[in-house]
Formats: sequence, structure tokens, C-alpha cells
Amino acid sequence: MSGEHPTETLPTVPGGHREDGGAHQGAYEHRRAGRFWSSRRVPAAIVAAVVLGVSGLFLYDVVSVRAGGAEMYWRRWLTRALEGQHLDGVWVMAGSAAAMAVGLWLIWLAATPGLRAVLPMRRHVPGVRAGLDRDAAALVLRDRAMEVSGVQSVRVRTKRHKVKARARSHFRPLDDVRSDLRAALADGVRDLGVAKAPSVAVRVRRPKKKD
Amino acid sequence: MFRLLRLVNRLLLGLAGLVLLCAGGVVLAVGTKLSVPTWWPYSGPHDVLLSRDDLHRWGGEGWWWPVVIAGLAVLFVLGLWWLLSQLRRARLSEVLVDSGDGEGARVRGRALEEMLERETEAHEGVARARARLTGRRRRAPAARMRVLLEPHASPERTVARVADEALAHARDSAGLDALPAEIRLRAARHGAERVR
Repeated sequence: MSGEHPTETLPTVPGGHREDGGAHQGAYEHRRAGRFWSSRRVPAAIVAAVVLGVSGLFLYDVVSVRAGGAEMYWRRWLTRALEGQHLDGVWVMAGSAAAMAVGLWLIWLAATPGLRAVLPMRRHVPGVRAGLDRDAAALVLRDRAMEVSGVQSVRVRTKRHKVKARARSHFRPLDDVRSDLRAALADGVRDLGVAKAPSVAVRVRRPKKKD
Repeated sequence: MFRLLRLVNRLLLGLAGLVLLCAGGVVLAVGTKLSVPTWWPYSGPHDVLLSRDDLHRWGGEGWWWPVVIAGLAVLFVLGLWWLLSQLRRARLSEVLVDSGDGEGARVRGRALEEMLERETEAHEGVARARARLTGRRRRAPAARMRVLLEPHASPERTVARVADEALAHARDSAGLDALPAEIRLRAARHGAERVR
């Protein structure tokens, strides 16, 4: 797709807009701006609710049987169902494969940062971490792109490491518009202040003539 | 508080995942006729998942049911605590201010949050700001902020201004040594305007 419109990788340029605090600033600019880590509240709440429900049900049943009551119908049903299942049965295999998949997914959730929509920004001030939403980055870059003359409309998509801009140009030679747009977006990416500057891919088209 | 919850959530999620993975693996290994060592809980694909013998193996012992009940109770309490801690919002109710004359003062957390919000919203390029004070101890608070950018605002300059002014003022007025902050920027949706 980008064969004739090569992707341009832009270098990360440390922002130098702060005049004060030069002494400790130098150390901070080279400090890695880490990802934002999600606290995983939703999956934790779901797993906690499942643990709570299952243990509560069993606890209630076991205690009531110990106290001389009758076991609930589901336990008899469960005992019979478990007894009837051989390990090479389809349902048992499917169930254990599903359990393994869910387990892997939970481990994945536990070990990865999440919050992929937040682009960590460069750190200039000690103790202050900032992150920019990908959608916000796309909006800022779109505004930059609209300032290029010849650009009629543009659609900017940001991924974590990549920005794709698709523009329609109604006047000026396409190559000029393309190089201007590339320069404008390069500037824009620098001004975003994100720690890892994404690469920029630009595509410029001429809209079809209306007859 | 947030960091602690994040750590606990991730550890317990990982543990739950490990348990599910192992339980599934134990059954699936036998079911797919892999050769398993002798200590494996199941001996062959024609074993049943849970037989009546398994169920009643320990039932006669005096210690079995108390242990089962205690285990279930621990799981239940752990689940309840874990679930409730997701719902609770970790928020600082007050900050201790060192007034310099040996007598401390207290600032309501909400007041400091509002001050942060108002001052941040007064900055150029900020449409709306939300601040929340967190932190484990009252004397070492941290701020979490959400900032909505106005159209055509520069994210990097906005962050620098918020850090240098609103956050610095809040830190100084509460007499804190440091006010670590986490700022998340979003942008207000707006239409694309042609320049000319």
C-alpha cells in the first residue's frame, strides 16, 4: 500500500522549551518514559466475583450438610455429572482447553501493561508523568495537516508506533503537497512530546473529477 | 494505594490464571493420551473426572470437613475483600500541612483538588481538568489528573505549564516537598476547519 509513498521514520528530538531547571533536566530527559500500567480493575472484579460466588455456594452447602441438612440438588447433579465424564470425552477436552485458554489470558492480563491507547510523553519535570491519548494525538496531527495548503481533507490514524495520514488534495502538484504534509506532520509529531515518536506514513490522492 | 491495588490485582490475576492453566493442562494431557508420570492425578483417558471414591477418600477422617470449611471460608473472605477493593475509590481525604511553627494544619483533599482543577483550567489550551489526590500517607500525596485539551493546543506545552504552575502552586501551598503527578491528556472532538 505504501510502496510508492514510502514511510518516513522521524527521529526523536528532545524538547527544549523549558529554560529553567537545566541542571536536573538533563538527567530527566534521558530517563525512560515507561508505559502506563492499567490497574486491571475490571478483570479483577470479575474473577473476584466468580471466586466469591463459587466459594460462597460451596461453603453454604457444605456447612448446611454438616449441620444435618440435605445437600442441595445441584451438588448431587454435579457429582453425577463429574462421575459420568471420561477424560477423553469431547466436553471434558473442550472444557479443559477453554480453562487453559482463560488461564493464559489472565496471565497475559497480569503481565502486560495494557492502556494501549495512552502514549507516554517525555518527562521534563521530575515526578510528573504524562500520557497522551491516541485519539488526541490524531486530532492534533489532523489539525496540523489541515494547515498545509492544498489539503482538502485528511484522515489521520494513530497506532502505537505509527501514524497514517490519508489526504485528498484539490490543488497544487501532489508531490509538493505530499512533501509539505510530511514536513508538517514531522513537526506535529515532535510537538506531541511523546516519548517514542511514531513513524509517519503519508498518502495523498486527488479526488475524482465531478462531471 | 493505586500502586498497591495494581500489584495485588496483577498478582492474583496471574495466580488465578496459573491455577486454571494447570487444572486444564492436567486433564487435557491425559485426555489427549500424552504419556504422564505415575504421580499424575489421572492414570488414563478412561478415568472419570471425579469419582465417588475420590470424593469419599477423606470424608471419614475427622480433620477433613473442618479443613474444607476453613479453606472455603478463606477463599470467600478473600474474594469479598478483593471485590470490594475494586469498588472503593482510593482518595485522600486530607493533607497534613506543615505550617512551619510546629503546629500542623489540615487541608481538605477536596479543596486541594478543586484548586488544582480551577488553576489547570485557567491555563491556555485546557478545556477541562479533573484532579484526584491519592497516596498512601497523608503527608505524601500524589495527584492524578485528566486534562481535556482544547483544539489546537500543544500537548507538550500544556503539560509543561500544568507542571510548572498549577502543580507547583498546589505543592507549595500545601507545603509539600514534592507532589508527584500522573497526567492523562485527551482532546475535545472538533471538526476539521480549513485554514483558507
